[in-house]
Amino acid sequence: MIVGLPKGLLFHQYEKFITEFLKVLQIDYIISKDTNKDILNLGVKYCVDEACLPIKIFHGHVASIKDRCDLVIVPRIVSVHEKEFICPKFNGLPEMILHNIPNMPAITTKPLYLYSEKKTLAWLEDFGSMLNKNKNQVREAYIRGKEIYDRQKLGYNDKRYRRRVLLVGHPYNIDDIYMNMNIKKKLNDLGVGVMTHHYVRDKDKQKEVDKLYKRPFWTFARHTYGSCVYLGRTQQVDGIIYLSSFNCGIDSIFIQLIKNELKDFPLLVVKIDEHTGEAGLNTRLEAYTDMLERKKKNGSNFPASREHLYSM
Amino acid sequence: MYYLGVDVGSVSTDIVVLDEKLNVYDQVYLRTKGRPIEAIQRGFKQLKNKYKDKEVRAIGTTGSGRGITSFILGADCVKNEITAHAMAGVYYDKEVKTIFEIGGQDSKIILLNQGVVTDFAMNTVCAAGTGSFLDRQAERLGIPIEEFGNYALKSKLAVRIAGRCAVFAESDMIHKQQLGYDSADIIKGLCEALARNYLNNVGKGKDIQPKVFFQGGVAANIGIKEAFEKILGFEIFVPKYYNVMGAIGAALLAKETVESKRCKTNFKGFDISDHVFITNSFQCKDCPNECEVVRILDGEVEIGCFGDRCGKWNQKSHIKSS
Repeated sequence: MIVGLPKGLLFHQYEKFITEFLKVLQIDYIISKDTNKDILNLGVKYCVDEACLPIKIFHGHVASIKDRCDLVIVPRIVSVHEKEFICPKFNGLPEMILHNIPNMPAITTKPLYLYSEKKTLAWLEDFGSMLNKNKNQVREAYIRGKEIYDRQKLGYNDKRYRRRVLLVGHPYNIDDIYMNMNIKKKLNDLGVGVMTHHYVRDKDKQKEVDKLYKRPFWTFARHTYGSCVYLGRTQQVDGIIYLSSFNCGIDSIFIQLIKNELKDFPLLVVKIDEHTGEAGLNTRLEAYTDMLERKKKNGSNFPASREHLYSM
Repeated sequence: MYYLGVDVGSVSTDIVVLDEKLNVYDQVYLRTKGRPIEAIQRGFKQLKNKYKDKEVRAIGTTGSGRGITSFILGADCVKNEITAHAMAGVYYDKEVKTIFEIGGQDSKIILLNQGVVTDFAMNTVCAAGTGSFLDRQAERLGIPIEEFGNYALKSKLAVRIAGRCAVFAESDMIHKQQLGYDSADIIKGLCEALARNYLNNVGKGKDIQPKVFFQGGVAANIGIKEAFEKILGFEIFVPKYYNVMGAIGAALLAKETVESKRCKTNFKGFDISDHVFITNSFQCKDCPNECEVVRILDGEVEIGCFGDRCGKWNQKSHIKSS
């Protein structure tokens, strides 16, 4: 029995857990390669065209390993936090995969509620039964996996750069460096450090989220909104870059809410889709960095450049 | 002494020569036609006999082809179009608060506060609100793009053309043509659709304050200028050198770079117009990214590489060229 792990969507978030879990159970597994051109092409080929890029890429990852494994993990993650949900496309993911990609091996289809240990264990027990493992074995593997998972620190918090921005967006847009054209490296090369919402305390985020007229449904949106508004208001970063995949409904609402709240604070929205030409992204990032630099240099008062030019 | 600025855009390649007092002394406006290197060579051929290499104090490049161009010309400063356009706009009028720049493939809005860029936006993955949209419709109507604006002014009543998407607009326009509407009215409708699209798409949620500068090739179109004024309710200014503002900005930025570094220019000379540049591309197999790398050769010598994600090829060429 070989389990296939597609390296898309929330894989990077739960990689440590699931690989340890499978190791303890002594199950062989394969992981698809880092996203590349072939995977993107496969994803675009199999997926419905209305889906967003991360979903297409997930299709590509599944298609790239389906013939080399007996069971593919296709997580129908409904929720990672109580009374909140994640992107609704996860709800239909197993159906999309089964109907779009021909000759699929078995996949996991049960819904997964990660906020509750009981519900998570129920999912894992069901998964375990597909691997011929009993409840006790599953429980032990769960404990060992969770230990490792809890020890990891996700996200970035660059120090020692001239400028610092908060990079937000759905985790998979930030994790997949093929999809986002390694935006972090590009920013670092421009002298800009990157931090992510992981380094903003939950209570600081929550304070901002509580001011919304309605509790947001979506966990990622809560983190994004809370960290943007908190850091923007307290000016702890020079700017915010919002990575959004084209077509994302959740982002379309939250980008506007953040803009309304932060008014003039430098916010750059980067829409990503199937493009592999990097010129468009480079131009935007360079212009944005220039803007931050010149703003800072001139104390947003009088531009040194113009003084310089008009002194002729 | 001169400062050169080169703006290699998707549709046009512009070269400006600024004199010591930073006045535009000479300008060349060429169609890029998808071959940026050839366009630059054609441009420099025109300038070659008028200027000497040593008269050039600085050279800067901008536009989507700025990278490739900088290797060929030996640019002192390689800057994005936003910064270049803002620089030039502010240079001509320090009161400018908003810059509309509509080029072939991109359109941008730049907001300034006391000469400093405070916000900007570019069009997303959409051709609506860009110059190429107009270009295409002009072709369909069989009217030279240069005449477009004048046609629009002849019209008394603009025909409503759908916005949002260049493809939707086109089909709407065809339907209106089939009903027999006058070309002038359709063109005016197109101008208004473009202005509406631009303000909805690129200018979405932005506080557009006068004074507004309208730059880029599309600013030649008086019909669009008028459409903007009608929607916004105040005058829009088209600067004298509207179509080469990016290049002017690049020259000004190059001057700034050379002066602040107190260094000599890297300019390779007007002779580059006689060199034979060859580009070839290959797929790098060193990692799963399988990047399509473009290599530029000046005769036998490799002067630059592009397209690699990791920067391995790109950096290699930097070392060689410096």
